[in-house]
Amino acid sequence: MTIENNQDTMHGNHPENGHGHAMDEHNYDGIEELDNPPPGWIMFIFYLTIGISILYGAYYFWIGIGPDQHQEYERAVLKAQAQYESGQPGVQMVLLSDEVSLAEGKTIYADMNCAACHGAEGEGNAIGPNLTDDYWIHGCSFEEVFNIIKNGEPLKGMTAFKTQLSDERIAKVTSYVMLTMKEYNPANPKDPQGEKCE
Amino acid sequence: MENQKFYYDHKIVKQFIMATVFWGIVAIIVGLLIALQLAFPVFNFDLEYTTFGRLRPLHTNAVIFAFIGNAIFAGVYYSMQKLLKTRMYSDKLSAINFWGWQLIIVLAAITLILGITTSKEYAELEWPIDILIAIVWIVYGWNMIGTILVRRVQHIYAAIWWYLATFLGIAMLHVVNSFALPVSLFKSYSVYAGAQDAVVQWWYGHNAVAFFLTTPFLGLMYYYLPKAVNRPIYSYKLSIIHFWSLIFLYMWAGPHHLLYQALPEWAQALGTTFSIMLIAPSWGGMINGFLTLRGAWDKVRDSAALKFFVVALTAYGMATFEGPMMSLKNVNAITHFTDWTIGHVHIAGMGWNAGLTFGMLYWLVPIIFNTKIYSKKLANIHFWIATLGILIYAIPLYWAAVTQWLMWREYTPEGFLAYPNFLETLSQIIPLYVARIVGGAMFVTGFIIMMYNMVKTVKSGTFSNNVPAEAPALVPMGDRNPARETVHRWLERKGVRFSIIAFFVLAIGGAVEIIPMIFVKSNIPAIDTVTPYTPLELEGRDIYISEGCYVCHSQMIRPFRWETDRYGEYSKIGEFIYDHPYQWGSRRIGPDLARAGVVTGPMYKSAAWHYNHFMDPQKMNAQSTMPKYHWFATKEINLERTPAKIRTLQKLGVPYPDGFDQLAVADLRKQGAEVAENLKASGIEVSPVSQMTAMIAYLHKLGRDITQVPGAETAAPAELAPVTLSTAQADLDAGRANYEKICAVCHGMTGAGIPPAFPSLIDGEWIHGGSPEEVVRSISNGYPEKGMVAYKNQLPASQIEQLASYILNVLNNEADK
Repeated sequence: MTIENNQDTMHGNHPENGHGHAMDEHNYDGIEELDNPPPGWIMFIFYLTIGISILYGAYYFWIGIGPDQHQEYERAVLKAQAQYESGQPGVQMVLLSDEVSLAEGKTIYADMNCAACHGAEGEGNAIGPNLTDDYWIHGCSFEEVFNIIKNGEPLKGMTAFKTQLSDERIAKVTSYVMLTMKEYNPANPKDPQGEKCE
Repeated sequence: MENQKFYYDHKIVKQFIMATVFWGIVAIIVGLLIALQLAFPVFNFDLEYTTFGRLRPLHTNAVIFAFIGNAIFAGVYYSMQKLLKTRMYSDKLSAINFWGWQLIIVLAAITLILGITTSKEYAELEWPIDILIAIVWIVYGWNMIGTILVRRVQHIYAAIWWYLATFLGIAMLHVVNSFALPVSLFKSYSVYAGAQDAVVQWWYGHNAVAFFLTTPFLGLMYYYLPKAVNRPIYSYKLSIIHFWSLIFLYMWAGPHHLLYQALPEWAQALGTTFSIMLIAPSWGGMINGFLTLRGAWDKVRDSAALKFFVVALTAYGMATFEGPMMSLKNVNAITHFTDWTIGHVHIAGMGWNAGLTFGMLYWLVPIIFNTKIYSKKLANIHFWIATLGILIYAIPLYWAAVTQWLMWREYTPEGFLAYPNFLETLSQIIPLYVARIVGGAMFVTGFIIMMYNMVKTVKSGTFSNNVPAEAPALVPMGDRNPARETVHRWLERKGVRFSIIAFFVLAIGGAVEIIPMIFVKSNIPAIDTVTPYTPLELEGRDIYISEGCYVCHSQMIRPFRWETDRYGEYSKIGEFIYDHPYQWGSRRIGPDLARAGVVTGPMYKSAAWHYNHFMDPQKMNAQSTMPKYHWFATKEINLERTPAKIRTLQKLGVPYPDGFDQLAVADLRKQGAEVAENLKASGIEVSPVSQMTAMIAYLHKLGRDITQVPGAETAAPAELAPVTLSTAQADLDAGRANYEKICAVCHGMTGAGIPPAFPSLIDGEWIHGGSPEEVVRSISNGYPEKGMVAYKNQLPASQIEQLASYILNVLNNEADK
């Protein structure tokens, strides 16, 4: 059998395809090609994108008005410094005992994944110490606990959270740890570390 | 003229079709599995062979090279013979092409599951397989060009231009990107490092998309669409213009994968502008396809094949508009490292590539089996379920991308990141990952329906391996007659000349971008403090590569405030000069790790944290989707290979001292012992040469080199402010308190240290000087590259002086007694 049988079935003009005519000798396994020009709009887009690219190069390189990515970054940092220059409001170094603050502190404890090292109920694990006992490694005053959360002790595994949490939020999670968590009686508490505080 | 009789080879076409369907279902089922893993980590099965990090490259390679690759060969081997009115040049080469390709696929599947990988995306296979690919690919090209030379048709049709560009483009890309120096049969290091490696890799990666997923399918479209609809191609001129512009421009666009990253600005700008210029050439193919359908839309209603072609062209048009938009830097800031890219590639892969393949199969299988499709109804069901599947797959991912990006850059009114814990931004999009599983499952279901339909169709038909045909012999036309033949028309009957010109058009873009990156020094500004990886860190890095950590974790912090606040200092070109290969990654399913070793940064985690996290990430955080890697604790490093690794890297220009390969194992054991000692302090026992110690050492190396305080080394003692040591008991007590809290971890309670890693402070020998001024300087500025932390931001000057007083006046006196 031969399957060259559709050779001529498509020959001739194709008014349904615009004004195109089948081109002579353009027949490949029965596929013909029409002599239509490319649609004008696609050629317009082509030339437009070439123009845009030239302008892009000029803006960033030949004339050099556009900032490079390092300048962009510096500008963003300066803008942020101006925006937040007043700094954070100072927080008072006192325990927050209102329920709203303690509840927020609990959320922060969960969101920041403190449980990974200190356990869901503050019981401690191989990484971090027990937070529910009376023993503290870095001091047991509000200021000292606040400080260890804020500035950390990276070599011992405690992350500094100062770039991640505002002082206000640190005060809340400190209060949660020192007040609410203190009352927990977790199942597998880690042995005490540090010094006992009364 | 006398007709010559010959036979078309249908057997090779049938073989490639069967391989297409077989590998297709394997590839998308693996895709479905890894989609499940991202939402439900239990599907990692707690086995090293089935973690997401290893299966994701298996999915991408299987889809691209096994499913789509075999579809290309099937489509090309059928249409070339018909378009050139000849049998393929050599049955032997056809058979080598077929069986060689299947062998490559099997080897790829085995090695990727075993963690044998180069980590270069879509080029993960190790060097012996790379060589095999090059051989089989050249066999394919040889067979193709041979067929062109023995043709019985004067001119080469547009479809075959695209096939030629595919062969030439992939040959060039594959060879240049795969240059690597072997360490052993299954391990090599890329000859390129850092930013150079990234440029070469994405020149390859982007153009694998172009010359494996675009040009061959445009060729198939130019044959199968007009055949299936029985209409002429709308515009021959458009064919010419979009062919040459597309193959020229595409090769330049690779750096759009590296926008805002550690790459020179000029290279990024080329990536952006050439991508924008690609819109019209890409759309040329879609327009020629759609206008060819003009006046025949009634046929589309009845034919599943044509419906798939329409979806393919639509998806192609969407993806090739979306791609240039994603190459704009401000848009790329959203789409890069998020699921946008994953959605984008699946629109293209499931819509354009798979859609065109399905359309081709529904048309071609009945023809070569001399029958009709078994069930038009099932074909239509496949069409609708697959098309809906694509949408249900892609839309959630676009949504996930925007959601996660917004969360990454959200600030509180006080100027803090609103979601500082990366995991919060991942947990938020898990429901969308579940939705995408539904879309993927629908696509798989449609595929299975097609397989059933195909089997039934094949059974109802008859097949002959060799199909007789006849055509007159080709009479050479001689020189060009300028009056009746355009230059291009003349070129269309000169296959070899056509190929040579195409080769040069293809080569320009890569040459302009890659050669300056390698030979012009100013493109890679050096950072003096960056040191090569120690043997243990290097072994850790090789585990990181082997496990495919890069598929979820980037090591590339872009210069955005919302990235530097989350991760630390943004990445610089000079940091990566010893990275063979680079590990920047392309998607963050987990957080960036470029600053995991910066002790004072937000990403630093202690050794004990890493140990527990590798053992069971879900125990650390129930919402984590990371696979468990508990075998790190028990599997040991293969120390026999370490010296060869060092020698290989030395050959690539990494400045290890002469003869270091012989010291490497001892150095590795020493550093491993330090990490193991550190873990022991937390009650964790691991072998000093376990994969665990290597991984921890590697993670603690990341970013450490560039945190050194500038000028710390150069300050001369004469310039130091005088320091008077205190002997007051209050000062000494305060010094002792800080010492025991901070310094004793490394230098010991008595100051004896653990030499040589942690020097003794009481042996009278001082590495950085023992005067009060020099000791204060060491504590203040540190020597981060050696592990000594700079304390000036953590302790006020007065406390540092108290520390120095305690060390020099108390510890040293006690030691003297």
